[in-house]
Amino acid sequence: MIRRHFTAGLVTTGLVGFGAASLPALAQAQTVPVGAIEILSGPAAAYGIAIKGGLDLALDEINQKGVLGGKKIALTVEDSAADKNQAINAARKLIGRDKVVAIIGPTLSNEMFAVGPVTNERKIPTIGTSTTANGITDIGPYIFRTSLPEADVVPVTFKKAQARGVKTVALMYANDDAFSKSGFDVMKAAAEKLGLNILAIESFGTKDTDFAAQLTKIKGLKPDAVAISALVEPVSGVLLQARQLGFGKETLFIGGNGSNSPKLGAIAGAAADGLIVGSPWFIGKPDALNQKFVAAFKAKYGKDPDQFAAQAYDCMFILAAAIDRAGAADSEKITAALAKTSYTGVMGPFTFTDHRDPASAEGVVVLEMRDGKFGIAP
Amino acid sequence: MIIPPWLDDFLWTYQNLIHALGINGLLALSMYVVLAVGQLSLGQAAFMGLGAYSSALMTLKLKLPFFMVLPASCVVPVLFALAIGVPTLRLSGVYLAIATIGLGEVLRAVYLNVDYFGGALGLSGIPERAETWMIYGLLFAAVAILWLVGRSGVGRAMEAMREDETAAGVMGVNVGRYRMGALLASAVLAGLAGALGAHVSSFIGPNEYGFEPAVTILSYALLGGIGTPLAPVLGAWILTLLPELLRGFSDLRLVFNGVIIVLAVLFLPNGLLSWRMKRRGA
Repeated sequence: MIRRHFTAGLVTTGLVGFGAASLPALAQAQTVPVGAIEILSGPAAAYGIAIKGGLDLALDEINQKGVLGGKKIALTVEDSAADKNQAINAARKLIGRDKVVAIIGPTLSNEMFAVGPVTNERKIPTIGTSTTANGITDIGPYIFRTSLPEADVVPVTFKKAQARGVKTVALMYANDDAFSKSGFDVMKAAAEKLGLNILAIESFGTKDTDFAAQLTKIKGLKPDAVAISALVEPVSGVLLQARQLGFGKETLFIGGNGSNSPKLGAIAGAAADGLIVGSPWFIGKPDALNQKFVAAFKAKYGKDPDQFAAQAYDCMFILAAAIDRAGAADSEKITAALAKTSYTGVMGPFTFTDHRDPASAEGVVVLEMRDGKFGIAP
Repeated sequence: MIIPPWLDDFLWTYQNLIHALGINGLLALSMYVVLAVGQLSLGQAAFMGLGAYSSALMTLKLKLPFFMVLPASCVVPVLFALAIGVPTLRLSGVYLAIATIGLGEVLRAVYLNVDYFGGALGLSGIPERAETWMIYGLLFAAVAILWLVGRSGVGRAMEAMREDETAAGVMGVNVGRYRMGALLASAVLAGLAGALGAHVSSFIGPNEYGFEPAVTILSYALLGGIGTPLAPVLGAWILTLLPELLRGFSDLRLVFNGVIIVLAVLFLPNGLLSWRMKRRGA
């Protein structure tokens, strides 16, 4: 430890002594190193690439002005390939080699359960932008998330369904991935809390293509609504097969966070019509900030942003603002500043709870699928 | 002992990788012991999963100390190996491979559907109990023991079985006993690796012990070779290090990773270390 301070002292003296001569070294000190761990390769890469797009876009704007009086944020994005060990390796590399002051990510809740204990031990604030499972922020006092947990989004959707006269519901979920399972737990709790009568609970595998047995059983029970917690591909499969089996307009389909993807319309087409889903963000939100973000994203990448890009975009600004308020590129001070965040972004007004989760679910909008596109549900 | 700060930093940064090298080395050995008697048994990932889950549950639910948990983590995989050994060891070649992969998938389905195992959410919050010296101590001991066994008469019988099982049987090698012994040794090594792995990364989930890891473990032995116990360990180290060494290539990482493996298999079909063990009188 002493030796490290001594080296730091030498470097500082060097900088003062040869200020003009050591411009590159000076430029180094003028950046604030921040890391991100996202899935950039493999089957789930779409999520990580959307997030990286959002982060980069926000960074362009932030670095025009800089933080801490003109310093630029240097963002290093590492690939986790959705693998627990690679995610941990990435986190250790970012902290040990790149000396980042804060980390954004990782993409999946499972990865956060592995990475969180490492970053928390080193007291590096870590902000999940897409981790929606229960218990993420229980990992430790340096773990934050800006993504609304499903526990905040799903009840809003179910209330909407109840307002439309839904009294009985059947639940379907993929039981082999953490995201779908924890979404189902939340759906079950929400249905029970609202007094909805759960007629059936059916599970399937994420890679299944045949849901006839489960759907036939559910059809016989005639529920007012069918709620599905799974990734977008199996949800599309369930909807397509449900229409073949004769599920009509009288049954309301309710999706979890996995259904909140433009891919649903692309795969299921007209079969997805009428499905409702709660979303922390909507591309058509009319406020000026959101419209500016959507236009800038389209201009830079040539495609529409999704919720993951929007969440990442806001998160980068929240972190940059916290670094500014901390007054120094110091992890401990940034953590304290993050906790006092009060920011209005494309998702709406944002603050953290005492437990480092998003405080308000006000920004949640219920969307309805119509002709292959999501619109705000009437 | 005074560790200079740069070394301390280096060790911290690569701690997980250093652990993974040791653990994957043990897994490669657990593959080696069955391949060494000519058995294409792919149950290693399943054994690893049993070791990981049983040890994690002993730590989390029973609060047992790690020096008890680690040896006990072999018990469940060994019992499982005894149970499946009798019927599956009558199979050979690809049939054995398919049967053992199937068993791994059955276990994965059990982890997913039994709430006690945490379902798809897995088990999180496992304390970091395994130390680097434990991992490398076990790896060193395993290599040494397998080396000594390989040089002995047992090793000669194993090699004979690998080359021609019928001939070996006719020459008086108790084929059934060797097969079972190899399967049990494989279960012990994989169970230890599973327990160590669970206690260095704080989280385990059912998908870490399915089909994909089974194939990865097989590729350790195929890349390294099975002439000596060191060869599969080398294979495991290369396949574990490559993705990290290639981090700089970002988008092209997987491409380079694949190309290197393809080239190695094309030009070194018997593995990187293809030489065999020397024996007295051989």
